[in-house]
Amino acid sequence: MKRTPFSKLSFTMTGNRGAALEMARSRIVLLALVFIVAYTIVGIRLFDVMILQGRFWQDVEDTRAVEAAVQTKAPEAVRRGDIVDRNGAILATSLKTASLFADPALIVDAQETAKALAALFPENTYENYLEKLQKKGRFVWLKRNLVPEEQHAVMLIGDPGLAFQEEYKRTYPQGQLAPHIVGYVSRDEMGQAGLERAFNGLLETEETVLKTTLDIRLQHALRQEIANTIDIFSAKGGAGVIMNINNGDVLALVSLPDFDPNKREKLDGDQIFNRATLGVYELGSVFKIFSTAALLEKFPDALSMTFDAREPLKRGRFTISDYHPEKRVLTVPEVFMVSSNIGTALMGEEIGTEGLKAFYKKLGLLSKPDISLREVGAPLYPRPWRDINTLTASYGHGVAVSPIQLVAAVAPIVNGGLQVTPRFLKPEGEEEVTKTTAMRVYDEQNGEIMRSLMRLVVTEGTAKKADVPGYEVGGKTGTAEKPGAKGYDRKRLISSFMGAFPMSAPKYAVFVAIDEPQGTKESYGYATAGWTAAPTVARVVERMVSILGIPPVGVATAETQEDAEDMGAKTQLIAQPVKGQAL
Amino acid sequence: MAKSIQLQETNSAKYKLLHLSWGLIALLFAVAMIGFLSLYSAAGGNVDPWASRHMVRFFVLLSGCLIIALINIRFWYRLAYPIYVLGFLMLLATEIMGQVGMGAQRWINLGIIQIQPSELMKIAVVMALAKYFHSASLEDMRKLSFLIPPAAMVFLPVFLVLAQPDLGTSIMIVCAGVAVFFIAGAPLWIFITGGLATLASIPVAWLFLHDYQKKRVLTFLNPESDPFGSGYHITQSKIAIGSGGLEGKGFLRGTQSQLNFLPEKQTDFIFTLWLEEWGFLGGLILLALNAAIILYGTWIAFNCRHSFGRFMAFGLMVNYSLYVFINIAMVTGAIPVVGVPLPLISYGGTAMMAALISFGLIMSCALHKDSKLPRMI
Repeated sequence: MKRTPFSKLSFTMTGNRGAALEMARSRIVLLALVFIVAYTIVGIRLFDVMILQGRFWQDVEDTRAVEAAVQTKAPEAVRRGDIVDRNGAILATSLKTASLFADPALIVDAQETAKALAALFPENTYENYLEKLQKKGRFVWLKRNLVPEEQHAVMLIGDPGLAFQEEYKRTYPQGQLAPHIVGYVSRDEMGQAGLERAFNGLLETEETVLKTTLDIRLQHALRQEIANTIDIFSAKGGAGVIMNINNGDVLALVSLPDFDPNKREKLDGDQIFNRATLGVYELGSVFKIFSTAALLEKFPDALSMTFDAREPLKRGRFTISDYHPEKRVLTVPEVFMVSSNIGTALMGEEIGTEGLKAFYKKLGLLSKPDISLREVGAPLYPRPWRDINTLTASYGHGVAVSPIQLVAAVAPIVNGGLQVTPRFLKPEGEEEVTKTTAMRVYDEQNGEIMRSLMRLVVTEGTAKKADVPGYEVGGKTGTAEKPGAKGYDRKRLISSFMGAFPMSAPKYAVFVAIDEPQGTKESYGYATAGWTAAPTVARVVERMVSILGIPPVGVATAETQEDAEDMGAKTQLIAQPVKGQAL
Repeated sequence: MAKSIQLQETNSAKYKLLHLSWGLIALLFAVAMIGFLSLYSAAGGNVDPWASRHMVRFFVLLSGCLIIALINIRFWYRLAYPIYVLGFLMLLATEIMGQVGMGAQRWINLGIIQIQPSELMKIAVVMALAKYFHSASLEDMRKLSFLIPPAAMVFLPVFLVLAQPDLGTSIMIVCAGVAVFFIAGAPLWIFITGGLATLASIPVAWLFLHDYQKKRVLTFLNPESDPFGSGYHITQSKIAIGSGGLEGKGFLRGTQSQLNFLPEKQTDFIFTLWLEEWGFLGGLILLALNAAIILYGTWIAFNCRHSFGRFMAFGLMVNYSLYVFINIAMVTGAIPVVGVPLPLISYGGTAMMAALISFGLIMSCALHKDSKLPRMI
């Protein structure tokens, strides 16, 4: 072969070369098709192994993990830390259990052993055990998590091919009490929800004890009362929060329907869903706390302002009317007390769009709340925010927040003006939120006015059933229609009561919301907050004061009440009865 | 006159840089990033020892790849045979003085870097065949005597690679060679006869297989027969992949791969880790990226105006897609375990070097698709 000088080449396309090019191109296309087919097959193969057979391989994985641990004599699994309530009551703990497996190669008498096993654990048949014991390979699970008596009985069988693998099993002694806060773990002890998920790293590194702010006694009271109300009013669900408004300790948090974290085989999303922190709702008139507070902040003479609620308010194509029309000119306390939408909307107009928005923002109502739980709902609010939205947002429509967020925003209105972040973990030592460290977000004097207005709602207004004599419960009702396919649905309500007590020096906020209550004969067909959520809060407060030993207003000084929710403090109180009784 | 001006323009550095296959480069970078993430995870969330070096290597070799792309295709055309001879000699040298790694004599130590000549040989074979067939007419292709020298070009190195022993690479060299024969226009009966002959020779070949190779094939046919021995790779790999599910366990959360259940997790089985952590969707992303790369390369071959470039680009593309196909099929248990890495993702310098040299040559074809190449008469 001889190379032709480059310059002398001719490039005419002869028929032959054209044919060669054509053939090359068509064969390239053909081979490219072959590759497309090959890749499709590989894709299908992936789908087969990962999706169709996925479940099977996941099960194998579980077995393999233990198997490898047995083979390599891996160090003992680290015991996951406990979760306890503020008084040390165990909410979640890991128990050491033994799981039985067989090494078929070491089994001496498969028939005898299978017979013994079938007698001991009748959930599987003799044939079933025999098949497992005669399997090829060196490892087969027989039964997970044996109790000591069972373990002893297996040892008495005496076959060297039977062996135990030590395992930890996560258990929740309080069962259904607080599944949404405590959460639960997967089979390999990874936190999946609640505090188990939020503090997974902390729980799995050392044998830590996670001390929460919860009080199981209050949790029980809140859960039982809400469940009771749901029952009476045939409601779909409910949520509730008890929080210390001075330091943010969440003492109880309930979302119903709930579940038992020990038995999670058949759960639906509704049970797992945390309505108190993840769910966001338009809570209606409880938002009048914020708009009224904003009015007080903007106008020093707000208490002498009046609002005309004689006629439904028309703005553009919207008409705002009252649930129980007063048909008269109302003062600010009256607007608040009778929960006039017209009056509040007019107040919103006075505050202005920027003013109301800035105030909501300052209280943290327009951003995702900063709590330890990972199940946190971000608030919904109008974007863009038009002037008409200011009117509706002032009485709680068009803005949806989670219950925990609402409670956190109400806290500074009634606690003297300091910002509070809800917390679930008890900090080491007693570093309380003090006036020097906490950020001031609301004026102290205006807060006093707000407290008296909220007290007025209970003594004279819509929440008379929330009163507990001697404990000065104050608050605000909210009966919100749920948004449906065609606007708001009058039949589907969220009835809630945002309460705090005692109003002269509030320490606790109690919030209860009932999802779609139905009126009863006793409530004259009403399902509004005054008939459902308000009396629930009253019963919760009644139980709280007896559990925590809180004396009625005027009976004890603030000092003896300090930290009454802590068992330790309470026993101290009992140990020195003279001091307490002398007062 | 006008024509020569145009020629000058297409030869200017600026023109070449502008017309480089930047889309292909972006795709390669995306695949290398998947490699980075996987290796980072394989080291338990650490850039050391693999992920950092992987990326350094990628950028160094990518710049080499770009230089190859910018060099005129005529240069590569001239060097095709010398490169082939060099590769062959290196292969021969491995046989004599190569270092034994993992039971196979595949490495040659050049002092600074260790290279696997068999990887480079894949490229050299394709280049040599492309040059040989460049001037062939369709009449030539029908003559058996004309086809014997290129067949020898394929099988001589294959025998050496088989002797190493490296079955996977041998098969890949043959496949790439066959692909070039095919698009060069060799008559169909050759492929049919060859295919039948291969099938017929399987029983004979079986006798020549190494014990570990026989075992791999047998285990493939029944992985459960020896779950702790040869079947371990396949079963472990399937467990890891299967437990990934649709969306995977999440970055750095692949328990199977992380807990060292998976041997060779940073090299041949890296895709397993990716699938475990990123799930079926992650797998689809990688498949889609590679499919895009392969279609891109095929498009370059299709549009090349000279036979040498067309054959070389397509042959190298076939080689790359075989890597990807064989590796994925292997880790999903669709074919027996053969030691084929996933290019640009598996940890290892030679495979990445081979892949980026290939893409450099392919991009050179794209850049010089209108170049005039001499024809041998």
